[in-house]
Amino acid sequence: MAVEVKKVCILIVDDEKGLRIGAQRLLEDEGYEVETADCGEEGIRIGKSKEFDVAIIDLKMPDIDGLEVLKEIKGAFPNTICFIATAYASYDTAIQSTRLGAYGYIPKPFTPEELIYQVELGVKQRQLIVEALRLKQEREEQLLELASEKSRLNTIIKAISDGVLVINKNIELVYFNYAALRFLNIQNVKIGQKVDEKLPPQISEIIEKIINKDKILLKTYTTQIEILPNNELIIEAACTPVPNPDGSLAGVVIILSNVTQFKKIELIKNQFVSMVAHELKTPLAAVQGFINIILDDSLNVDREKQKEYLERSTIRLKSLKDLVNDLLDISRMELKTKQREIEDVNIIETLKSTLQFLEFELKKKEISVDTNIQENLPTIKADVSEITRLFTNLISNAIKYNKESGSIYIIAHQENNYVCIKIRDTGIGMKPEEKDRLFSEFYRAKNEKTRGISGTGLGLSIVKKIVESYYGKIEVESVFGYGTTFTIHLPINQN
Amino acid sequence: MALIAIIDDDPDILDASSLVLKSKGYDVVTASNPTDGFKIITERKPSLIILDVMMDEPDDGFFLAQKLRRENIQTPILMYTSVSKAIGMDFNKSEMVPVDDFVEKPISPDELVAKVEALLNKVGEKK
Repeated sequence: MAVEVKKVCILIVDDEKGLRIGAQRLLEDEGYEVETADCGEEGIRIGKSKEFDVAIIDLKMPDIDGLEVLKEIKGAFPNTICFIATAYASYDTAIQSTRLGAYGYIPKPFTPEELIYQVELGVKQRQLIVEALRLKQEREEQLLELASEKSRLNTIIKAISDGVLVINKNIELVYFNYAALRFLNIQNVKIGQKVDEKLPPQISEIIEKIINKDKILLKTYTTQIEILPNNELIIEAACTPVPNPDGSLAGVVIILSNVTQFKKIELIKNQFVSMVAHELKTPLAAVQGFINIILDDSLNVDREKQKEYLERSTIRLKSLKDLVNDLLDISRMELKTKQREIEDVNIIETLKSTLQFLEFELKKKEISVDTNIQENLPTIKADVSEITRLFTNLISNAIKYNKESGSIYIIAHQENNYVCIKIRDTGIGMKPEEKDRLFSEFYRAKNEKTRGISGTGLGLSIVKKIVESYYGKIEVESVFGYGTTFTIHLPINQN
Repeated sequence: MALIAIIDDDPDILDASSLVLKSKGYDVVTASNPTDGFKIITERKPSLIILDVMMDEPDDGFFLAQKLRRENIQTPILMYTSVSKAIGMDFNKSEMVPVDDFVEKPISPDELVAKVEALLNKVGEKK
């Protein structure tokens, strides 16, 4: 494919027809594109209509002076190379034309060689100017890009919630964003300031270590620092050396992130794990204790006693199994991995089947159940297994913490957009301080009346999680020694 | 033979420990909460107290131990623990926990008897 080279454009302004046509032909033969004007006015019109590379302007024309034409063309296109052609070459006109921006002047009459030589000089000059212009423009564009890139980067770094701090190898501040100051709880720092005194010692130590290394390892060193006491602000600082292009150390970049919430969650998790460990270990210790006794021949445990201990071990193992199941349920509920089957749940039927399931426990303690359930109680959208679990936990509590031959009242009715279910027992009730901790994991009311009642300590915390997962609410009223009432509201319109 | 008081809220542990100690000829009294525990100690004046940490009780085993010392009851205390290893808690004899030794649950009959004998001997030497 032929490369299209833009032809050099030349304008000839001259009132002398012969010269005009002669020069045009000559230059066209040289490969230039030539336009002509036969008077000053026409010269100005054409010269301003587009940018010519070179213009050759006759000084003396009947209508307008050549210098005037030069001025007009230069005004419109300062980079057009203009020659003044004149028979009256004088020192004065040379100066004047140069002052007006002419590149040179061509004395008349001129030989073709002279003309071509001058035009070639002019074209070269023009190419230099154009090239310089192009470079200048390119550089300006790049600078602009660079400047906007820098400010973009600045905006990004300023906007991120992590703290960013850059120091040089003299531990002088090179760059910081405001999150960094906030996380380090420092004020009044300036770029260029020495900051080793202002940084927490843990960070200074790492910086020291990085700076004093003989060789730069592109390795990030992290540390966690309690900035404000009582776990109010804990940050993680990640320090990474920044190398120069030659491999020597330029400085250190420190990224600070707020890990307070993670730490708090970790603390809660650890507390939960120790509670679980304790709850798991208690029945295990009892079972292991019994086995140790049975295995120890020197103790001479008789057969009947052995059997009793094994039976008691079985009960402890069952409670251990219940506990593990409850724990799994809680963890599933919290992870929300439990596959729910949402359907229309009939409260009356669910209550009935729960009571059937608990019939044995009810009979054992001779507890009577009275129900008062509104007819045509609307169904709720829920997973029937979860609602069954909810009722089972509450009613079995109402049995466990009831007195012998006590009663349970179950009331269910519609209250605006909610189904309201009340489960009341005539049991031992709770003291106010026990009520406050009722829904916490592993909390079990302990007093002279609760002895011998077993449980995992997770039943009510599961109930609460189920109720809240359906955007319902649970309340409890209790009088110590007289009984407890749980009231649940579950929304009817579930999406 | 010496009288030993065992205070633990787990009835299975109470029975198992009682059986072990009785088989070695000790007399045993038991209580299943700190309040009853304090009562049997002041009334029966045992030679040794085996006390569970009883984390679930509002007044736990540590609390009872401190209360006994405040009342100037210097009977040696052997403390039952079941959680120290699980939660990385290290109990040590200190002002906060004025007890004489620890036994990790589950009880091993041999270890229990050995610790009980050692503590009783120590008291005997002092007298």
